[in-house]
Amino acid sequence: MWSSYVYTLTWSAITVAFIVASSVAVGTLARLVVRARGADRRRQHDTFSGYAFASPWIVGFIIFVLLPVLASIYWSFTSYRLPNPPQWVGLQNYVRLLTEDRDFRAALVNTFYLVAFGLPAQLGVALGLALLLNQRTKGENFFRMAFYLPVILGLNAAVLLAWVLMFNANTGFVNTVLRSLGKSLPPVNWLTRAFIYIVEITNAFFIGLQNGNYVLLQKVLSSGFPPPHRVPLWLQSPLWIKPSIILLLVWSCGSMMLIYLAALNGIPREFYEAAAVDGATRWQRFRYVTLPLLSPATFYNLVVGMIAILQLFEQPYVLLRDSPTVARGGYTVVLYLWRATFRFNEVGYGAAISWVLTVIILIMTVAQFKLQDRWVRYELR
Amino acid sequence: MIEESVRELSEADVLALYTKRRRRSVTLRERIERLGLYVLLVTGSAIVLFPLVWMLLTSLKTFEEANAPYLVWIPQDPQLTAYVEIIKDTDFLRSYANTIFVTVLAVGGTLISVAVVAYSFSRIQWPGRNVVFFLMLSTMMIPYQALIVPQYVFFNKIGWIGTFNPITIPGFFAGGAAMVFLLRQFMLQIPRELDEAALIDGASHLQIWWHVIMPLSRPALATVATFLFVAHWNSLLAPLVYLQTKSLYTLPVYVASLVNPQQTVQPWPTIMAASVLTTLPLLVAFVFAQRYLLGGIVLSGTKG
Repeated sequence: MWSSYVYTLTWSAITVAFIVASSVAVGTLARLVVRARGADRRRQHDTFSGYAFASPWIVGFIIFVLLPVLASIYWSFTSYRLPNPPQWVGLQNYVRLLTEDRDFRAALVNTFYLVAFGLPAQLGVALGLALLLNQRTKGENFFRMAFYLPVILGLNAAVLLAWVLMFNANTGFVNTVLRSLGKSLPPVNWLTRAFIYIVEITNAFFIGLQNGNYVLLQKVLSSGFPPPHRVPLWLQSPLWIKPSIILLLVWSCGSMMLIYLAALNGIPREFYEAAAVDGATRWQRFRYVTLPLLSPATFYNLVVGMIAILQLFEQPYVLLRDSPTVARGGYTVVLYLWRATFRFNEVGYGAAISWVLTVIILIMTVAQFKLQDRWVRYELR
Repeated sequence: MIEESVRELSEADVLALYTKRRRRSVTLRERIERLGLYVLLVTGSAIVLFPLVWMLLTSLKTFEEANAPYLVWIPQDPQLTAYVEIIKDTDFLRSYANTIFVTVLAVGGTLISVAVVAYSFSRIQWPGRNVVFFLMLSTMMIPYQALIVPQYVFFNKIGWIGTFNPITIPGFFAGGAAMVFLLRQFMLQIPRELDEAALIDGASHLQIWWHVIMPLSRPALATVATFLFVAHWNSLLAPLVYLQTKSLYTLPVYVASLVNPQQTVQPWPTIMAASVLTTLPLLVAFVFAQRYLLGGIVLSGTKG
């Protein structure tokens, strides 16, 4: 029982000794170099300390980032199944990934879907909550904590399981509420059905993109407007798995809200007063004062949120749990990477997936930075 | 005539007019708006917190209530059987101990090494500092997932798969560039005279770091510690990849494995009891550290 703890503690002690030794070594080496260049004593001392103190990161960077990155680039061009040695296959992994692998294409489509629909939803709700909280209400602190809490809990599998339970299509909490609301208030029922119709058409279209045929879309369209008793199917249907994930993303948008709140606090009151003197309506003040001044915060949230969604893993892992009927509707790139590499033990292929993902993240981030001049304003003109 | 008189009004007059008019006409409207605001905030936070309430309620239900063909809102006769059951489950207790062990070790090691590196980047002048710092910031662009495949092979080669080492030891090397960055930003704000004086008195950088900078950095250290705690307590991908044996599972992996996808009926009360116990330390940490956490987000956000 204790042996695995003792083992790791022993290795921790060895690691600490290694870090100290390597720090002294790196520091001494740096001191020798600056001494040879003729630096004074103080400079030598600072160089030694500087390198010695930074050395844990430098050494860690070489062991855990630089070497893995180089190895992984090489392996992505090989067929590598542990424990056999890697064999060079050229571009074969990438070709298979981008042209043949339908599961990967599905994962890619799903991930882009989540970025395209989930990110705006997150930003909108985060902004709305920040505007509400900015009204200096009583209990502001409590509300801020409440809205931030899902960020802390939202990635924990245990909490995600509560959502699995609530999303149960027949007896789950969400659908029970929807049903009883729909029964007592006909407009709610009508709205729910319209929502179901839109979501199912959109998702059937995206599943068509994944499969290359639009049978499901035709089926959804031909069955027409949903009958009164229909409820969303959430985790039970490939049409609903992505909307379910988006709901979870929106639920945990608290850190975006805090960024917005900080930015709202930084807007000088005079701007609103001046706008009021000019006779601006509330909407105009929001549209022409608040929104432009919030654009740096929006930009930050957009970039960070986009990277987070591109790397999504926990939510689909817990919500899908290998359910074969919905899997394709919900795989994200990282979930697929995990399956390919660690379930099917294809290291070379997994490495290729991880590089495709990295390139996508890089391109999309650079694109955001290039586009920012068009809409992000750091001053009000 | 009218236009002229309007032009003669000074800006101050307009402001006075405006404020007067506002004060006169909005009392009722403002009250209604305030009410609407509170209704929105209260419903919003109720919805947001509801999953936790549901978790707790379900954990107190009987197996039949949780799997009934209709929704049971509140357990008729609240039970603690699920908790008794999950506490008797040695695998659960084991994974709880594992999670505490991994989290404490990883957070401790990471916190100290991050503080050391942040000190170097903020309080010492050394040749090449900006280059190394820029290199560190650029590693933030590399997604963790791109590294997990080669790291897995590396840990496999040295026989660390099926041990806690791969999820604790990398942190000792100042894991997490964002955390170093956050601490560095904080340490930069500490007045430089403090360590200059200590240096003249003959103190070494190690002494200054420990006796001067570390005590002054307490709020930032608390922020980083909380972030690290939450990240390790919630971590799913790395434990899934590296642990592989049930006796080593951490809580997220173990609790997720309690759901059997092959069955339609799940022991929900037991699962939710496990979830409640898993969430509890996070809640406690959140309540104690919330001011650091909320500040840290904004610090890393606006200065990043």
